[in-house]
Amino acid sequence: MTRRTAGTGDCRLGSRPGEVIDRSRTLEFRWNGAVHRAHPGDTIASALAAAGVRVFSRSYKYHRPRGLLTADILDPGCLLQVGDEPNVRGAHRLAEAGMDVRSQNTWPSLRYDVKAVNQVAGRFLATGFYYKTFIKPERLWPAYERVLRRFVHAGEVPPDGEQLYYDKRYAHPDVLVAGGGPAGMAAAVAAARAGATVMLVEQEHQLGGHLRWGDADELRVRAELVAAVEAEPGIEVLTDSVVAARYDDNWLAVVQRGLPHVAERLVKARAGTLVVAAGLIERPYVFAGNDLPGVMLSTAVRRLLNLYSVRPGQRAVVVTANPEGDAAATDLRAAGVDVVEVDARHGRTVVRAAGRGGVEAVELSDGSRLDADLLVTATGWTAPTSLLNMSGSNPVYRPDAARFVPDPAATPDTVIAVGGIAGDGTLEELVAHAEAAGREAAARALSLAAAHARIRPTSPGGADAAERAPEPVAPLGLRRHPELFFATPIGGFVDMSEDVSAKDILTAVQEGYDSSELVKRYTTATMGPAQGKLETVNTVALVAHATGSTIAETGATTWRPMYTPVTLGALAGRRFEPVRHSPMQPWHEAHRAAPLVAGQWIRPEHYGDPAAEVRNVRAGVGIIDVTPIGKLDLQGPDVPKLLNLLYVNKWSQLGVGRVRYGVMCADDGVVLDDGVTGRLGEHHYLMSTTSSGAGTVWEWAENWLQTEHPDWRVHITPVTTAFASINVAGPRSRELLARLTDVDLANEAFGYMNVRTGTIAGVADCVLWRIGFTGELSYELHVPASYGLHVWESLMAAGADLGVAPFGVEAQRILRLEKGHLIVGQDTDGLTKAYSAGLAWAVKLDKPDFVGKPELQWQSEHDDHPRLVGLQPLDPTVVPEEASQIISDGGHIVGRITSSRMSPTLGRSICLGQVDAHLADAGTRLTVRLRDGRDTLVEVMAEHAHFDPEGERQRV
Amino acid sequence: MSRKEHDDGAGRSRRRPRYSAWSLVRHGLGVGRDWERAFRHHTPRESYDVVIVGGGVHGLATAHYLAVNHGITNVAVLEKSYIGSGGSGRNTAILRSNYLTPEGVRFYDRSVKLYEHLAADLNFNVMFSQRGHMTLAHNDSSLRTMHWRAEVNKLQGVDSSVIDPPEIKKLVPYLDVSPSTRYPILGALYHPPGGIIRHDAVVWGYARSADAHGVHIHQKTEVVGIDVVANRVTGVRTADGRRISAPVVVNCTAGWSTLISDMAGVAMPVQTFPLQAAVTEPVRPFLDTVVVSGTLHTYVSQTDRGELVFGASVDPFASYSTRGSLDFVEGLAGHVLELMPALSKMRLLRQWAGLCDMTPDYSPIMGLTPVEGFYVDVGWGTYGFKAGPVSGEAMAACIANGKPPEIIAAFGLDRFDEGRLVGEKGAAAVGH
Amino acid sequence: MMLLPCPNCGARNVSEFRYVGEAKTRPDPTTVTPQEWRRHLYLHRNPAGWTRETWYHGSGCRRYFAIERNTVDNAVRTAGATS
Repeated sequence: MTRRTAGTGDCRLGSRPGEVIDRSRTLEFRWNGAVHRAHPGDTIASALAAAGVRVFSRSYKYHRPRGLLTADILDPGCLLQVGDEPNVRGAHRLAEAGMDVRSQNTWPSLRYDVKAVNQVAGRFLATGFYYKTFIKPERLWPAYERVLRRFVHAGEVPPDGEQLYYDKRYAHPDVLVAGGGPAGMAAAVAAARAGATVMLVEQEHQLGGHLRWGDADELRVRAELVAAVEAEPGIEVLTDSVVAARYDDNWLAVVQRGLPHVAERLVKARAGTLVVAAGLIERPYVFAGNDLPGVMLSTAVRRLLNLYSVRPGQRAVVVTANPEGDAAATDLRAAGVDVVEVDARHGRTVVRAAGRGGVEAVELSDGSRLDADLLVTATGWTAPTSLLNMSGSNPVYRPDAARFVPDPAATPDTVIAVGGIAGDGTLEELVAHAEAAGREAAARALSLAAAHARIRPTSPGGADAAERAPEPVAPLGLRRHPELFFATPIGGFVDMSEDVSAKDILTAVQEGYDSSELVKRYTTATMGPAQGKLETVNTVALVAHATGSTIAETGATTWRPMYTPVTLGALAGRRFEPVRHSPMQPWHEAHRAAPLVAGQWIRPEHYGDPAAEVRNVRAGVGIIDVTPIGKLDLQGPDVPKLLNLLYVNKWSQLGVGRVRYGVMCADDGVVLDDGVTGRLGEHHYLMSTTSSGAGTVWEWAENWLQTEHPDWRVHITPVTTAFASINVAGPRSRELLARLTDVDLANEAFGYMNVRTGTIAGVADCVLWRIGFTGELSYELHVPASYGLHVWESLMAAGADLGVAPFGVEAQRILRLEKGHLIVGQDTDGLTKAYSAGLAWAVKLDKPDFVGKPELQWQSEHDDHPRLVGLQPLDPTVVPEEASQIISDGGHIVGRITSSRMSPTLGRSICLGQVDAHLADAGTRLTVRLRDGRDTLVEVMAEHAHFDPEGERQRV
Repeated sequence: MSRKEHDDGAGRSRRRPRYSAWSLVRHGLGVGRDWERAFRHHTPRESYDVVIVGGGVHGLATAHYLAVNHGITNVAVLEKSYIGSGGSGRNTAILRSNYLTPEGVRFYDRSVKLYEHLAADLNFNVMFSQRGHMTLAHNDSSLRTMHWRAEVNKLQGVDSSVIDPPEIKKLVPYLDVSPSTRYPILGALYHPPGGIIRHDAVVWGYARSADAHGVHIHQKTEVVGIDVVANRVTGVRTADGRRISAPVVVNCTAGWSTLISDMAGVAMPVQTFPLQAAVTEPVRPFLDTVVVSGTLHTYVSQTDRGELVFGASVDPFASYSTRGSLDFVEGLAGHVLELMPALSKMRLLRQWAGLCDMTPDYSPIMGLTPVEGFYVDVGWGTYGFKAGPVSGEAMAACIANGKPPEIIAAFGLDRFDEGRLVGEKGAAAVGH
Repeated sequence: MMLLPCPNCGARNVSEFRYVGEAKTRPDPTTVTPQEWRRHLYLHRNPAGWTRETWYHGSGCRRYFAIERNTVDNAVRTAGATS
């Protein structure tokens, strides 16, 4: 009955005491293109229902028309597209002016959906049909698949949707109460009065739970409780918010909506105690025709009538097995609806609903048939125990109450259930139980805080509260309720959103998928947006019936986070990804350096012409920003012991002012890092590491000191970012540096592999190394970071007449490759042990102990490991791409190119590569398979260095 | 309908009705018998020729190939919960063979080839969608590794190549390939034969086939002890007090594999880590390729039902808890939105975790152990599901012949004592 | 998310820490055989239950310390405690 209407519709009733709509204002929105009116406080669904809309969607597989079933956030018939947002819960989202609301996956329209043809084919499309077909011919599977994907029943995500603002917050309430119904409110107030800070989270737009649509007494109690909550300063109330998940130690994810300017906020709360007051969810009844528009739960009817003043039908049949169902019948009568009550407590139930596009008639178990446009069922309740389940506790089935209940014995002390989820009673009894639980929750939270304070030995003052053992809260009773899950003969749907019928469950069991989990996976029942809250118990009941077991034996499936689906935006929040710049970065950017992402650092890759940069270093002088190099300051009398332990070479005889290159290996002999370490004073050393190893090596060294050698007197301070680092390289580097420093740079005073401290460009406390990664005369300067830019600019200015120019990471890679220096992580990989990297000269096996020694000992005795070798292509113009494979005659892989460049210095291509041991002799010719599929020949060189193998140039 | 049926004779296979479109039509019209059980319940015998511990894809595939390739059918698969309840039911169902080492490529490619024909071989549609698999590189070193993998793949005859950002954008329009992101995409390893599959269907298909050949599948049957006499396995004991004797016992478990191996007195270099995954609500299909980012430790694919399936790396500490963490979904969402900012309004429906047995060299442990008759197919880390078919085939051959076939020779348990680790860790990428 | 009891800083979110591994005793490298050494490197107890292990407080006091944790439910206690 879709109609274009003016006004807020012919189904809107007069004012009612508990209504949440503001009749003094109206707003307009669009539904499938037509204009509709709503009052503030209406949900999209209630506004449409007020206008007489009965069909909101078409179902997933069979495209059957669907209407409201629960009229709340779980309603499976009411997932709508709002603007560019898919899968909006139409019975929960408030209507707003200007909204563009559409049904999902219906074509050409909701009314005349073409895929409804699936209904005709339904009997052939039983559960699991796709496993039994589309098998042959195999080549047609992709085509079949495309057809299947067309039928996906869901909203759309446009590629360029509006980006909303999401953020996050931390909270540390002593007690977090999930659920703001009467029990939740009572527990919150009691906890606050007992001295706890409380966060109260309610999914609906107002506090009150089921009291909101109750009778006059219930509305009065609601008002009193809300006033009590508002009167407590220690309670923070979040409405339209939900506790989405509970993790270890009551780490709770709360998604908060309704904040101005924030689409959603993820509140990460560490609660001392969690009080679960999630209430009860009404369970649908399974019978033929149970998915027709006009079939609703008693709570849906009471919500529509009492919250939104919407009349859901004219002639109603109410099948009721409990007082809440009776109350729905009463409320319907009071609204002028014709009502026939069917008392399901005594064996009479509905077996079929019939009609085209909506309920028109109802068939009962006694054979009678009633005309009706509204069929209301009140056949039982389901406890939404997900949050308890996430706490490690599995619910227990109680046949006398026809529902699963929490198992207090399996629930941790820091989690307490109150209200309908925990048991039954009068409103007074539920409130009293919740108050006792709230007091106990507060006491446990405060005791836990005291226990945490005790762990920390330096905590001042300790805790105010004393630690105490948890005291039990007297449990609630359980009201008897008949077990009503499905009618016989068996028919209808058990999962509306997945279009899984009751017969599908029986078929699955018959085919051998006869446990709850297998049924779920085979039929996809309970895997829809409601995540089983409406479906699980009926599914379990059908499986039990089909297997001849009891519900308790069959058991329910595991509940997993999230309790309610959470947007990716809320989970991501604002995205913070730190980036690291050296102090000279502004200079690099101003000089058009191409940026290179190197871990968290941004570094200059080149300044336009890396080959020219290389030539300038070899001929004159260049400077490079090497700030990301890891630097560790080591002080103490036992530093040489640490160096001897971590490096494979020897360190006991390193004199003051001397520098040595070192290689670190892990306990399995794999190369971990390399760098140089220099001795600045008697008990003072400075260690350098690779830039990606800066943090790792520091933690590595600390591990050895703290856990294996706590008696060694060594203090490590990471100074990677305390120093800006600049390498001045080239035959004229001494000339340049001499203009700016007070340190004597003459070769006799400051030779190769030495370290000095002094002033540079007026900046004191600088460290100068003389080392040679590039193979030229060079000095590596470590300058207190805030003066880095000043020193850099001073070098550029002072060396203008010498032709000083900056060089970037790419030029440095070429320079070091010309000299055959390996890069850990590029020329070595996760399995390369020291001998494979050509580092045999560094490994001192006569040291008593160092990390990696046992494996290296054995590696030295076995000659069959791969080797790192220098390689040159026979054709000097061919530059094999890095990672090109070296292949043998038989096409087997025997190695790969690890580094490769055209050398501006030599005017030919040069490489390093890993090759199998038997091919590593100098002069061997090998075949490299290039990326374009051609092969080229390379020759193994005697040295890694392609240029100045004797290392003369760096010693001048 | 009663649950327990008596078995119909030792290892005798029954005529299994074939699934087909025609059989669907017949059933829809109500003609003919009800569907037969895909796998039956049996009373466990007192002895079997082979006992396989673990009813996931590896255990069931091994049983299937023992029967089909070697005629060995007096076999029991013991599963402590329901079949496919472990890693086989929790993985993100990605198949590929674009590995780093030649042995790895050969091995996983054999599996992909078996998967390509598995639906027809098992007469059960496993829905292997070879829609393409893409591994993004966000820095030089990663791009170099992609090239390494592409070159090794090509030499083995496997279709992989490195593509650039414009080509990436054509394949996945929703990806942000602009240079202004925090970790700009520099290129990707593109592997067309990779894709996704319906993981439960693979388990059910193998189970149905094994069952039809007379293999006994015993669900809800937990092994609590393995009997070893004079360094030779003699049988197992189950939680319900039963003793089943067998000269061959195969450990095909994941997550609890060291606990099982400990029962036989075999120590393993394995540590168990949770691996989390998550799925969103369905939306209209827009993603045709499996997208993996090593740097961002994130991967995403879209099922035929329209849901996005996400995964990342293993949890940072060893545990047997599968409860999952908020950190995981927060980090995941952040990385997914960095790759595809348009997805912010999609909702995460469910998160879960499986248990991964991590080995020192990111490679499995397969074949013989020091205890005679006790075989292992374990250590599968984060890459076990894609290897189901080839592992089953190889383990069946190993059991039938008493020694491991060439294709798994590098994965023996003895490699650790001898220091001969396999090289898949060499690239240190996220292993999916 | 679990809380870990750092001896210096008290109970802090596990995300502040780095897991180092099962507590193992390093054999004497001068007397150990290759097989024993590799077993020390590669084998783990991997129990489903209480285990003693090392953690590092990277986002805090930067100390390495030992705790006991139950790998099945992630309950933790300070090393040496019985409950």
